[in-house]
Amino acid sequence: MVPLRQGWGTSGTIRLGLLAFGLLLGATAFVDATSRGVPPELSLSFLSGYSWAYLVAGAIAWDARPDSRIGPLMTAVGVTGSMLLFAGSAVPGLSLLPLAGVPLMNLFLIWLVLSYPSGRLSSRLEVATVGAAGLAVGVVYFLLRVIGPEVMDFGAWVLLTISTFLLGLIVHHGVKASTAARAGLAPMLVAGLLVVLLFSGESLAWLVGISTEIGSPYQWACLAAHVAVPVAVLVGLLRQRFARAAVADFLVDLGDNPGPAELQEVVVRALRDPSATLAYWLPEYDSYADVDGRQVNLKPVPGRAAATIVSDGVPVALILHDAALDEEPKLLASVTAAIGMTIQNAQLQVELKARLEELRGSRIRILQAEQSERRRLERDLHDGAQQRLIALSLELGELGDRLNGDAEIRTRFDAARQEVTASLAELRDLANGIHPAAVSDHGLAVALESVATRATVPVQVIGATQDRLPEPVELAAFYVVCEALANVARHAGASSAVVDLERTPGALIVEVRDDGVGGASADGGSGLRGLADRVEALGGRLQVWSPQGGGTRLRAEIPCEL
Amino acid sequence: MRVMIAEDNVLLREGLIRLLTENGIAVVGTSGNADKLLVLVADDAPDVAIVDIRLPPTHTDEGMKAALKIRAEHPETGVLVLSQYVEVGLAMQLLGDSAAGAGYLLKDRVSNVKDFMDAVARVADGGSAIDPTIVSALIAKQRKRDPLDRLTPRERDVLALMAEGRSNQGIADRFVITLRAVEKYVSSIFSKLDLPTTGSDSKRVLAVLLYLRG
Repeated sequence: MVPLRQGWGTSGTIRLGLLAFGLLLGATAFVDATSRGVPPELSLSFLSGYSWAYLVAGAIAWDARPDSRIGPLMTAVGVTGSMLLFAGSAVPGLSLLPLAGVPLMNLFLIWLVLSYPSGRLSSRLEVATVGAAGLAVGVVYFLLRVIGPEVMDFGAWVLLTISTFLLGLIVHHGVKASTAARAGLAPMLVAGLLVVLLFSGESLAWLVGISTEIGSPYQWACLAAHVAVPVAVLVGLLRQRFARAAVADFLVDLGDNPGPAELQEVVVRALRDPSATLAYWLPEYDSYADVDGRQVNLKPVPGRAAATIVSDGVPVALILHDAALDEEPKLLASVTAAIGMTIQNAQLQVELKARLEELRGSRIRILQAEQSERRRLERDLHDGAQQRLIALSLELGELGDRLNGDAEIRTRFDAARQEVTASLAELRDLANGIHPAAVSDHGLAVALESVATRATVPVQVIGATQDRLPEPVELAAFYVVCEALANVARHAGASSAVVDLERTPGALIVEVRDDGVGGASADGGSGLRGLADRVEALGGRLQVWSPQGGGTRLRAEIPCEL
Repeated sequence: MRVMIAEDNVLLREGLIRLLTENGIAVVGTSGNADKLLVLVADDAPDVAIVDIRLPPTHTDEGMKAALKIRAEHPETGVLVLSQYVEVGLAMQLLGDSAAGAGYLLKDRVSNVKDFMDAVARVADGGSAIDPTIVSALIAKQRKRDPLDRLTPRERDVLALMAEGRSNQGIADRFVITLRAVEKYVSSIFSKLDLPTTGSDSKRVLAVLLYLRG
């Protein structure tokens, strides 16, 4: 059964047939050339450089990468290259062969260089350039044959222009290639540059009148440059084979139960792609996560591709990699297979991290839900009971002025008014305890000044600015200061305290220091524990230093981007 | 005296209108939000604008911003901010570099008709009205670092009333003493605290508040 293959994949018979046809054509050309007196060593070296090297390397590449167009392209260059030797043949039909061979060989060769390693030209500009180059070479060669060498006075300029353009395209290829792609491209880029440089050199030589006859040193250099292309293809194949062999070494490095970070590093090294990343499938979350447990976005991105890792027949992860690696399917297959065998431990670790990440998210959500509920309660109290009581006390105040006569009624009325006033004060404290509205309404600096003013010891506030921060951050900082100053009042025996606010690029740092007796412990009071929970829910941390007799320093670092 | 009111709670707004009208004050404009108040003031500046610190749409600092804008753009109009919480920082923000025509009181104060009318009148006249809660907190704070023992108890009481924005006459009425006696206390306080003597009551308020704030 013939296995199905992508692209130009074809059966071995056709491949062998083409190879045989190319070799046979070359042999015929050799006999023909020798018969008209061309030295055999000259035609042999011509054939090996322009045809056989391509046919052999093409056959190898075709076999190694049946889905790539490089093998067929190499074979095409080899077949058309052998036609060139028929130039000057005495046999009427054969002497016309180069009219097709010259443009076609150049076309395939340029196509090969520009499309390596996939064999697919990536833009219309490239397709147009390849076509135009083939056509131009064909026309110039045709006119040369029909009219004579004087055509080259004009033709050399045409060829020089095309060569320059090709040089630009090749250099552009090298520059725009990704890190992962460039290493594999390098040999072909160098070979391509050599071929095009020498090709343009020939046109230049004609223009300045230097001979580049067959057998001249210059022609030997051209021959060598042409051989460089198949050599580059073989080097590329070898490189891929070495990379695959190296995967086994990396597997050994992995050991028994590699963690996500180690697997990540091995993938980068094995694929030689610094941008490669592993994304783990977490069935429970129905999504992919990176090594830190964060959800991975799988939208298609140009220049990026993904390879699936399967373990026990189930997809367990993806390798997100440079699309250039699609040219090395065998390497990708070895790496995914190798990783699939050892991934379970790493997958568990990533799942754990995802859980932690989820937990962090739910802590923030719980905190925010609690805060908005408290804000709502405070607002309800403010708009409802407080306003009504104030209106009532206003009414009572007016009535009091009109009250006359009975002293007892007066006294009882005043007592009632006092009750309302006291209720208002209590309600105000209650509302403020539920939610410190001044923080949300006017910011940390305003609210902290009042807290510092009311503290039991002199408190200096440093670094407070009117700049607003997200509400949860300001509230957390406010509670940290309130709790710290309450502790100063209760236990510290301090004579003064400092509240120090510092804004770093990513966080607000709140530090409260006193000169008291010290000896406080971070998990001593439920107040500090609750405070730590609040700060940690925002992704920050709370630290306490309290040496015996050395004062207490409470420091909270609260991230500002939530 | 012409007064405008910005208060979003209807019950309270009606109560204020009634209270002011009955005390012979003309309420020439009312509004439930800050923007309309600013338009009213720009149209026909009153003697005093009474502003709730929390106004729609967000009920956070709209009232405060409107108060600061009126103070900046219409210095002839006094601004009395009413709030359900009093913050030293907000009082100082409202005063800025002058206490003239500025007041900041707890909403509860409306129940004491005489004191409230007095405060409205002072703010209308270019004086000040600072809530006693703020003044007592500041004095308590100051006493933590500097016991103010140089002052006699009566002098400390006079200091507090000065900080609230009361005039010498107002202080004399409160303590039932002569104007001469108040003037004596005041000059004694200023010399003991080493404060520069000032011309007007509102300059005196700012000087005392700044001293207490430390």
